[in-house]
Amino acid sequence: MLKLIGSLLVLLVSSYIGFNMASRCQERPRQLRQIITCVGSLRSHIIYSCLPLHEAIANSTNGIYGPVAEFFQQVANSLEKNASLTPQEIIKKVLSEMEGSLILKRPEIEVLYVLGGNLGVMNCKEQEKYLSLVIEQLERFENEATRLRDLNTKMYRYLGICGGLAIVIILV
Amino acid sequence: MTDNKNILIKKILEQSIYPVLPEQLISMISAVSLEHLRNLTEIRLRINQPLLLVLGNQDITVNPMGEVVVNYNEAYLCNQDDIQRTLQLMSKNSLYAFEHQLKMGFLTIDGGHRIGLTGQAIIDAGEVKTLKSINGLNIRLAREVKGCADQIIPYIITKEGQVLNTLIISPPRCGKTTILRDLIRQISMGSNIYKGLPVGVVDERSEIAACKSGISTVDLGIRTDVLDNCPKAMGMLMLIRSMSPAVVATDELGRAEDIHAVREALNAGVSVVTTVHGKDLSELLHRPYVGELLENKYFHRYILLSDDPRVGTIKKIIDSSNNKILWEGAKKC
Repeated sequence: MLKLIGSLLVLLVSSYIGFNMASRCQERPRQLRQIITCVGSLRSHIIYSCLPLHEAIANSTNGIYGPVAEFFQQVANSLEKNASLTPQEIIKKVLSEMEGSLILKRPEIEVLYVLGGNLGVMNCKEQEKYLSLVIEQLERFENEATRLRDLNTKMYRYLGICGGLAIVIILV
Repeated sequence: MTDNKNILIKKILEQSIYPVLPEQLISMISAVSLEHLRNLTEIRLRINQPLLLVLGNQDITVNPMGEVVVNYNEAYLCNQDDIQRTLQLMSKNSLYAFEHQLKMGFLTIDGGHRIGLTGQAIIDAGEVKTLKSINGLNIRLAREVKGCADQIIPYIITKEGQVLNTLIISPPRCGKTTILRDLIRQISMGSNIYKGLPVGVVDERSEIAACKSGISTVDLGIRTDVLDNCPKAMGMLMLIRSMSPAVVATDELGRAEDIHAVREALNAGVSVVTTVHGKDLSELLHRPYVGELLENKYFHRYILLSDDPRVGTIKKIIDSSNNKILWEGAKKC
């Protein structure tokens, strides 16, 4: 009886790990798509409405939910409250605070960090060029993330279940 | 009166100026006594030069403790970081939103306070594209002084309640905008002698109405429409077409297109109240474009201001038809 319960627990835990990894794999391109949408919207708010940066960033999350929206909202709030900090300093701080919920890899984080260094210091035309470049870069990461998702999601799930089964067989 | 001035300057500094200054400068300025600060008109920051507080016709310097010092060697010297941080706070990290103003060498912060900038101009196709390496800032404090145009009103409103075309002439820092703002308010509000009229304001530099997110933060009366941050020439014609004002008010004429727009407005049956930089009429007659308006007597009244004995002194009110001085004195605002 004890063996059965133990085997079930091992199977459940390994399956959970597999499914969790698969879901993170699925979440990454979704978050990247949301970031691209927010940056695109930010570009419009800067170019068309010339809104101050904190307002433009806050408005860019309209219709977006989850960690990405939270990230941009936190950046907007911090910019409004601490105008003496640069956007780069604030993005760095918020990224470290949200490390667990944002499923981004190092190159994507670097793009966001560099984005902070170039926000608000150029005229509209240059800002538009730069934001378009950022979107292009993020789209490349998104394509790669989508490819990895299609490749790995099922694999992680099977690996979780099969790995659990293998451990159970070995132990029993 | 002294108490009112102290309260006013404290309010201006705390609400509009301190939020755009670095901590270090705030602590120095706030340590200066209100007896000095109540006359504060400008704060000047220049890289490697003393922080200057301009009090009307004189200026003072302070040491890092905020004590007033006479010896410049003891004064606090502004550095590049002070300028950079101030610029960052003023623009709220959004220089692109001030692109148009930066080209003209200034930006306006909440409360209608204009910040003059100097640095290196970047030229593109013969025009200033922007300013880089900013090396100096001039923070000009705007004040709302209700009633400072009381002396002028009887001379620019006819018995029939019509507003005469009026040109306020003064050198910089003599209170043009403050008087214009009060004229707009009084024309718009009306009184028991004349009725209020719809006034259209084209506020190219966001100084007259001190708009925050497009909404005026000063009292311009109940019949006033403000077109904020819009070029004068374009804005005047837009207002005439869309808002049917009886009076159009704008600040600081100078360019050819401004003069053209004023002519259009005057010929459209709308009264114009505006300002121009200049010391006296003879000087203005030699200026291009503005001189033409004077020669053709487009305006009915000229109001001459000076800063002697203090800012906002109404020197003369002149009838343009015969150059008769209708009022001469030293009314202080």
